Amino acid sequence: MTADVRGSATLAGSGIRTSKEDELRIVRQPLARADQAEKIAGSTRYAGDLAFTGMLHARLVRAPLPSARIVRRDATDAFAVPGVVCVLFGEDVPHNVVWVDVPGQTVAVAALKASMEVLATNRIRFHGEPVALVVAETEDALAEACDLVEVDYEDLPGVYGLDEALADGAPAVHEQGNLLGEWRIDTGDVTAAFDGADVVVSGSYETQFVDHAYLEPEAGVGWIDDDGVLTLRVATQVVEHYRDVARILGVAESKVRVIAPYVGGGFGGKEDMTVEPYLALAVMRTRRPVRMQWTRQESLLARPKRHRMRLRYSTAARRDGTIVGQDIDITADSGAYAYLSALVLLYSSVHACGPYRVDNVRLRARCAYTNNPPTSAFRGFGGMQVVFGYESQIDLLAREIGISPEEIRKRNALVRGDVLPVGQEILTEVQLSQTIDAVTGRAGPLPSPSGPRKAVGRGIASNIQSYGRLVWLNDSAAAWVGFQLDGSLSVRCGVPDIGGGQASSLAQIASEVLGVPMAAITVHFGDSALTPLAGTTTATRQLLMSGNAAYEASVLLRDGVFGAVAAELGCPAEGLSLDGDQVTGGPVAVSLREALMICRRRNVPIEALGTFFGPKGMPVVRDLHAERVFPDFTFGTHLCDVEVDLDTGQVELLCYLAAHDVGRAINPLSVHGQISGAAAQGLGMALLEEVVVADGVNLTGGFFQYLIPASTDLPEIESIVLESGEGMGPFGARGIGEPPIGPPAAAVASAIQDAIGARPTVLPITPEHVLDCLRASGRAGSPG
Amino acid sequence: MTQTVAVTIAVNGQSITRTAGAHLTLLRWLRDAADITDPKYGCGEGVCGACTVLVDGEPTASCLVLAAQVDGAAVTTAAGLTRADGSLNPLQQEFHAHHAAQCGFCTPGMLMAATAMLADGRTRTRAQIREDLHGNLCRCTGYGPIVDAVEAAQERARDSSAAHHGPAGNGSARNGSARDGDAR
Amino acid sequence: MFIRPFRFERAERLADACELLRQHGEDAKIIAGGQSLMPMINLGLVQPDVVIDISRAVGERDLTSADGYLRAGALVTHARLAADPLVRQAQPLLSTAASRIGNARVRSRGTLGGSLAHSDPAAELPVVMMALGASYELTDGRGTREVRAEDFHVTFLTTALEPDEVVLSVRLPVLGPGWGWSFLEVSRRHGDFAIASVAALVRLAGGVVVESRVAAGGVSGRAVRLADVETGLTGAAPDQIGERVGELQGIQPLSDAAASDTYRAHLARVLVTRALTEASQRSAVAA
Repeated sequence: MTADVRGSATLAGSGIRTSKEDELRIVRQPLARADQAEKIAGSTRYAGDLAFTGMLHARLVRAPLPSARIVRRDATDAFAVPGVVCVLFGEDVPHNVVWVDVPGQTVAVAALKASMEVLATNRIRFHGEPVALVVAETEDALAEACDLVEVDYEDLPGVYGLDEALADGAPAVHEQGNLLGEWRIDTGDVTAAFDGADVVVSGSYETQFVDHAYLEPEAGVGWIDDDGVLTLRVATQVVEHYRDVARILGVAESKVRVIAPYVGGGFGGKEDMTVEPYLALAVMRTRRPVRMQWTRQESLLARPKRHRMRLRYSTAARRDGTIVGQDIDITADSGAYAYLSALVLLYSSVHACGPYRVDNVRLRARCAYTNNPPTSAFRGFGGMQVVFGYESQIDLLAREIGISPEEIRKRNALVRGDVLPVGQEILTEVQLSQTIDAVTGRAGPLPSPSGPRKAVGRGIASNIQSYGRLVWLNDSAAAWVGFQLDGSLSVRCGVPDIGGGQASSLAQIASEVLGVPMAAITVHFGDSALTPLAGTTTATRQLLMSGNAAYEASVLLRDGVFGAVAAELGCPAEGLSLDGDQVTGGPVAVSLREALMICRRRNVPIEALGTFFGPKGMPVVRDLHAERVFPDFTFGTHLCDVEVDLDTGQVELLCYLAAHDVGRAINPLSVHGQISGAAAQGLGMALLEEVVVADGVNLTGGFFQYLIPASTDLPEIESIVLESGEGMGPFGARGIGEPPIGPPAAAVASAIQDAIGARPTVLPITPEHVLDCLRASGRAGSPG
Repeated sequence: MTQTVAVTIAVNGQSITRTAGAHLTLLRWLRDAADITDPKYGCGEGVCGACTVLVDGEPTASCLVLAAQVDGAAVTTAAGLTRADGSLNPLQQEFHAHHAAQCGFCTPGMLMAATAMLADGRTRTRAQIREDLHGNLCRCTGYGPIVDAVEAAQERARDSSAAHHGPAGNGSARNGSARDGDAR
Repeated sequence: MFIRPFRFERAERLADACELLRQHGEDAKIIAGGQSLMPMINLGLVQPDVVIDISRAVGERDLTSADGYLRAGALVTHARLAADPLVRQAQPLLSTAASRIGNARVRSRGTLGGSLAHSDPAAELPVVMMALGASYELTDGRGTREVRAEDFHVTFLTTALEPDEVVLSVRLPVLGPGWGWSFLEVSRRHGDFAIASVAALVRLAGGVVVESRVAAGGVSGRAVRLADVETGLTGAAPDQIGERVGELQGIQPLSDAAASDTYRAHLARVLVTRALTEASQRSAVAA
């Protein structure tokens, strides 16, 4: 792809794209998104909002304990409830297995092949595991019948702690043992680096189970459409799950269709399947429309969480602050099933040294099966927990050596051409230092404490986060762009829009290339049968992937129109331009409608399909060394001011700044939205949120216990957008969906350390934990 | 057998009667019996605020009140703010202008909480706006754009009130269905 | 969403509700504002056969003041307690505590009687009632009886209400001359049920504490009056309050996901000191 369009260039072969801002006319405009008006008018129909006449309702019966064997199941009483249509157990599922390495979703990593049952038939491995599916005429009948499904369990020993799970002789969660995945990095000579270092700092850090807590619980409606195709309209980040559904049902992939309407938040939690297989089973069994909506409590109980991790770091440096070595040990809780844990841990491993150049690295990372809730994808995908580790370490180092947090980060910052410990070279410009200057330059002076028993402090934290999928996954995305005869434009792309403006961005890209006003563009999205497949809305990949596909389709379409006009008028195509109304160039000026008529007369298509293929690379093995793991990375720095109450341990956030280089901001509104929203989610993880699990029992029973931040818990969050004009996405955009969730916990911990002289190392940073830190630093007062 | 009751509610100015289970919350009655789906189910605990509607002008978690309890009441949902021609009211316009919705799932409830808040005509600081919206959770925005939108809507109401009533105007643009005290 | 169906009965008067309670027995539940009952029903923690609606019952919506006492009907909403000029003037401790309850939705529907009958130890109103030494008028529909707050609140979600009784009204002293007050609470997330809360009243004379009342919520199965603290405070100057407040006696904090027992105890002690100090400052201004 070397097409050169106004405002966008591709450096040959590298996949790097650039643009100049003064040549852009639509891109970079803060345009109200196409999805906004309907959402604000209250007329958007989310997955749970659609109803059919004669629709049935479905609900799961879930295991009430974390480790057990099923000894008896009896649905007689449940089936006798008036209105109950069927009760299904695992034996009723044609292929009762969900594979983790389904082609097109993940690949086998570290020789991993893992599976779980759609409905458990024998072994229960976590509290909340699905056992039976009940389908009924009404939700009331479901409420009664689900309580009457009799399942007898025999308690089995379980494992709930990380060390316990990996100890010899631990009860095996799965037959192959409890070590699910393992990665290693050995780069340079770590022993020599530590021996020769002036300073070594060490720390151990713990992160917690976190729930995505999107406002929309999992939901969907399924029916058999007039074409005989099983159609599922569900809240999902991945319409390609139609393949998994087909496999479970034992039908051809062409007989299953998944539609993703606007999704009420995803954050990785709607990346794995949720209601899909159950809706499919219910529809196929009853041949009637079925709706399934999970309750909030069910979502908190049973959906995969963010991995709990324990991070142990030793960092060696020279007196001037230059980091010379990192020795890192990571242990992650995979919970009861594999899901995407091995890949999450791979992300942790690759990102473990942060946005800093480190020549000598030893990393050991393991993830363990336990009988805790499963863990899987969550915004940041393992690349964010490690920020709490490496940024804590660099602050310890700065204090030890006596230089500023800004200075030590700049001194070690990666630059273009540096090689990450895993072996990947950084190909694009790194503006890490600029993001540090942006937040420190913007922040005012630290305010004075508001009272005698208060202390204030400031912290910063930087990060590196990949965008785009692992390079051996053969990632691709397609988009179709076509003119209507009146000059308006239709875009078709399988991208699910989960709230980040994924669909609207495509319109803005097409508008830039084709000059068609935004109001005249409609994006049809998220339909596995009717829109070209664009892959998952995960891994901060959609702007890179579907954005580039839409860009390429638009360029193809434009060039086709130019070619037809040039041939018709006998002028060179090179000088032509399109502003949405007219095709012009030198003496040539024809209306767009006329140009489209010329195309039709000359058998030139007025539509184009663009397919974008992600950068390629070889799969990794356990001992990591690769020239390329990810397409590219996004860098940023956050700054946080806090006030700590020295008697209660309460932490108030006074000010929050977040700066990222986004390459090119396609729509600044969406970019600011992603940054401030991710920062808010990160701040929730820093201070409030935790799924509390005791011996495998999930104790977090509702939103009254799972504390996502309210408006009064957050400060004004100011996002600062830097544009290097260079990245792998269209016009040089970089992905920004995930990166800003990384720094908040570390920034808050740094600010608390600045305020009280001791550093919190366990998330969430509760008032109790702060009091413990105060005692450690000798600043705890008497309650009086 | 499940007891059913006929409940009549004026939803967004239109009287609707449905006979449904007596145990239905207002939220389920609206969504499942009346197919009015802009109030969202987010938790069923009254915590998230996605189901917020106005019942006789008062902000109400529709998941925490039985439809039978409010038989005869006037209920306003976010869709009721939208004008008949589909255009947005001033508060909605400010939500639009300030990019206050991302996934949009909290938005209908957030709009109703803001509508209830603005109805008293008081001028609030940003901190006070945050304070009065803290019962409505958003997982996408970090709240800043929502506060921006409400602040702008407040400004607009004050400007138009000043224009209509002069400096002595009380600035109140109460929703039509608001009631005083505990008139019931 | 998945609620076990129940019957719905509407009581025209509170007395009728008592008759319905007798008719339907212990599987019947009273609903007024629904802010406590409905979450429990929606979560399946309570599965009533009958729900008796008193939200439209006639009467008990009045706020009156006479002979040094404020009387509030059980159906008065939190929003009204927070905003009514009579309450704000006669007992600002109560109006302030009511303004801190939940959020605007909870306050607009939740009722005084409902909160007291629910008897959550972390709720705002029981703590205030304990500090003020309030009493509640209960009825079984045939007669009424008066019960002191400290006798009414037995333990977690348990009260002295007989199965066929409802709360009719609350009687509490108005703020006397020279008294200062304070209500403080701390929760992990703003607006949630408190980890610990404290209601305090102090009267200074000659620059020292001569009378005080203080109660804490969230640190026992019910809100508790801290008599030892009150006794120990007499004669203290405002700046000596901190040293006079020792380990709190008579509390039995629990550990849960929100906080450990030791943190609750610690926090309660901090808040007691701060609330008494703030109350004494207000007293100084009042005097």
